[in-house]
Amino acid sequence: MSHHDVIVIGAGPAGLSASACLAEMGLNVLTLDEQTRIGGQIYRHMEAASQDRRNLLGDDYTDGLQLADRFRKSGATYKSGATVWQAEPNGTLCFSHQGQSEQVKANYVIAATGAMERPVPIPGWTLPGVMGAGAANNLFKEAGLNPSGKIVLAGSGPLLLLEASLLIKKGTNIAAILETTPLIPPGPAIPRAPKALMRADFLWKGVSMLREIKKASIPHYKGATQLRAIGENRVEAVGAMHANKKLHIEADLLLTHFGVIPNTHIFRQIGCKMVWKADQRYWHPLCDEWGHTNCERIFAAGDGAKVSGALAAQYKGELAALEVAHCLGIIPQYERDALAEPIQKNLKHDHWPRPFVDAIYAPNPKDMSFDDDTVVCRCENVTVRDLRKLVQEGVRELNEVKVVSRSGMGPCQGRMCGPALAEVIAAELNITPDQTGRLNIRPPLKPVPLKEIGEMSLHMEPTEGKNWLLDKKSAGKKGA
Amino acid sequence: MFKTDTDLMQNTVTVTLDGKSVSLPSGLSVAAALFGIGETISRISTTSRKPCSPHCLMGVCFECLMEIDGVQRQACLTEVRDGMVINRYLNGNKGEVE
Repeated sequence: MSHHDVIVIGAGPAGLSASACLAEMGLNVLTLDEQTRIGGQIYRHMEAASQDRRNLLGDDYTDGLQLADRFRKSGATYKSGATVWQAEPNGTLCFSHQGQSEQVKANYVIAATGAMERPVPIPGWTLPGVMGAGAANNLFKEAGLNPSGKIVLAGSGPLLLLEASLLIKKGTNIAAILETTPLIPPGPAIPRAPKALMRADFLWKGVSMLREIKKASIPHYKGATQLRAIGENRVEAVGAMHANKKLHIEADLLLTHFGVIPNTHIFRQIGCKMVWKADQRYWHPLCDEWGHTNCERIFAAGDGAKVSGALAAQYKGELAALEVAHCLGIIPQYERDALAEPIQKNLKHDHWPRPFVDAIYAPNPKDMSFDDDTVVCRCENVTVRDLRKLVQEGVRELNEVKVVSRSGMGPCQGRMCGPALAEVIAAELNITPDQTGRLNIRPPLKPVPLKEIGEMSLHMEPTEGKNWLLDKKSAGKKGA
Repeated sequence: MFKTDTDLMQNTVTVTLDGKSVSLPSGLSVAAALFGIGETISRISTTSRKPCSPHCLMGVCFECLMEIDGVQRQACLTEVRDGMVINRYLNGNKGEVE
């Protein structure tokens, strides 16, 4: 079992900056990333992307190149395609890499697992041709692939509009945009507006994005409800309600987006304390400004700790790294604070518009009025009807739901159905989703062949005083 | 569903897809490479028995699970390699994950 000063999980903005910062100090850093290339989702395939692709994606994408360069030069050991499938509070990890599993240990682990698109089940979302707007974005970054045919974008959130404006820039025809965001900004957005105005640059980006969409004269429905994908063996049309009228739009591809949430499986498996963010309706690990979770050796950084975007993630990665260096005795506290000061300033500046944007696009439980036939758990094919029936039978808690219905037991292990399960059960019981509990997450975090586990060389912790038989045996040997 | 402006097939690898020899663009994940040649169906759901296509392209949804060199793997997290054997079992019942 190899031992490292620090293991960083993830190579997005937070993971790259944390790894680079620590490796630059001469520490032994191992960076494990399950993706095939560095960059996470935002900077996906940035190093390999053509100049055309970089130009289209703009600074928000190419900003990552500097970070990539810093990481490459830092001396951190990097393993791509390395999937962590077990993590312990003591800093021991198991991961699978090129068909082999390995156990590693570190004094500190920084988990920078990033965010994922919030899975919101709609009728027909399991049909081929329905995918996340972020997924289409990934295909472009990775392979230069552009959606073709009749394309419909639906859902809510700034990234939905960002994807729309990117498609327009590329000259792709969009059949319609169906926004579930209400026409009138929700109440909590208004007191948050003045602070957002202090970041005119940021708001300008949003305004010009909306103008581009308007200029392209794409049918843009705001306040759409009852989204549905229609089709037999693939999506053929998208249905919705808008201003009391039924919409039926032919489609070859439906790109959905309902905001992003932290990817928290690893924190939950470790046993980190989780916090419910009520306005954004997601769980995130409890951590302080340095990323300390309640487990001494485990740090959280980036969007996996709380969604705040790529730049903030990079800053948070750096702050976590500085605190880890301090904990390891590499830098004294005053140095940590001096190095952290400009980063904390940047982080604050970056954060100004976020509460406003978050409030505008806050997930609305009314958007989630699920149909009985909607599949919630894609892996196990469990519908809203199945779940409602369970509630009628007296089931109250998510892990009970899981045991009885199998939702959350498939290969994705509740990543795609977990948040929606809580919404459906909570709506039935007229409580909030956090009151329905949280799915227990157990290793392996990702399916791993038993053969790999069987072939692993395992290091066991000393068992003093814990195993009567073994202790007696070793004591006897010593005596002999 | 997707098209490309760039010459995706400039550098290719040869794989066996469902028993047939196929050229795939190199340097990409299996999932992206298959989209690149117009293959959008990733598997038949073991529970609903209906065709699936990749949904998240980032390792979360497991809809791109397919048999790659004998092991069920997430195609979006696996880079294509020359000589790879990929089976989706689009007509049969194999490919159970249990």
